[in-house]
Amino acid sequence: MSKTYAVLPCNGLDKCAGGVSKEAAVMLAENSDSEIICPVLLHASDARYEKITQEKPLLVIDGCATRCASKLAAEKKLKITEKINITEEAKANGITLGKGLHIGENEMKLAKIIVDKLTQVQESSKTEDSIEFPSKLTYEVYKKDKFVFRLPKEEGFYFNENDVWAYVVGNKARIGVTDFVQKSLSDIMFFTPPAIGNQMEQFEDAGNIESAKAVFEIISPVSGTILAINEKLMEAPELINQNPYEQGWIAEMELSDFENDKELLHTFDGYFEVLKRKVDEFHVKH
Amino acid sequence: MSESSFMGVPREEIDWSPRVDFSKCNYCMECVEFCPHKVFEVHEEADQKFVVKNPNNCVVFCRACGKTCGLDAISFPDKSETTAHIKTIRKEAESNE
Repeated sequence: MSKTYAVLPCNGLDKCAGGVSKEAAVMLAENSDSEIICPVLLHASDARYEKITQEKPLLVIDGCATRCASKLAAEKKLKITEKINITEEAKANGITLGKGLHIGENEMKLAKIIVDKLTQVQESSKTEDSIEFPSKLTYEVYKKDKFVFRLPKEEGFYFNENDVWAYVVGNKARIGVTDFVQKSLSDIMFFTPPAIGNQMEQFEDAGNIESAKAVFEIISPVSGTILAINEKLMEAPELINQNPYEQGWIAEMELSDFENDKELLHTFDGYFEVLKRKVDEFHVKH
Repeated sequence: MSESSFMGVPREEIDWSPRVDFSKCNYCMECVEFCPHKVFEVHEEADQKFVVKNPNNCVVFCRACGKTCGLDAISFPDKSETTAHIKTIRKEAESNE
């Protein structure tokens, strides 16, 4: 059995990647029970697609990093279940998109690769959390007008200046973002997880999270291997807004060189000062 | 999210910002539109339509604008070298205290 979606392609007419997004949507509709949402009609009259978007999981196909289709979904308050970016997929598959607006053999090949991947019923990945995490955290707060920024005071929490935390137990760690990230992004709509089994160095990118406002690259505070991701975020990325330290954690890792990583990490006291400075600066600018 | 220092090291002492290979660039401007930190500046009338105007606004270790580039025209300094450099400056500062 193949997966089916309500497919929202960007259908951008001024770029080759937009053409590929349309082709992939058409192939999906032909090969499965997926249904296409026309972005122009959705923009003009969202009621037209109310039924489809309620019945089927929403797949957004963006052509490029301008993410028009994602932004349109956010604007229409549609919940995105899965997301594909044609430019990124082209890169990942070693395909160079043509400069012209017509799509050729290469672009068709890319559309087919994407469609095959999307329609396969995936085995669920390993997601058990293996870390002994405190059942209740105590927070220090920094208030600025109506905004409250929390920071956990427990020992074992480390922070980098890219606003990502690690809670370390033995040779394992759980990582996530701080309140500063989720508050500056506001409503988080989508989470792209790091791949399980991926080995990374400190300060490498461990996935990203995205709101209508911006994309935030999660810069890993520690080096090691990804053991598990927080699968709940795939369905409910808003958990990061609710509490990025508890139910909104990002991933768990096996550490490879924590003693070395620690040199460029803060404990609570150091990062709390950084957080206050960042909040004050952000506040002045916005 | 601009920073004047990173881990106690003055930002201007850390060489971290996008390097754009303009021979590959097709001026789609996606990197420029993507970056919320005003690292780039648009020069519409010029042949080279944008510049890396504020390299020190770039968030140390962020490479997100590079991912927007379908042509791979954006690169960054070596991360391990940058990390080692930051550690060296920190050590020097400590020993001077």
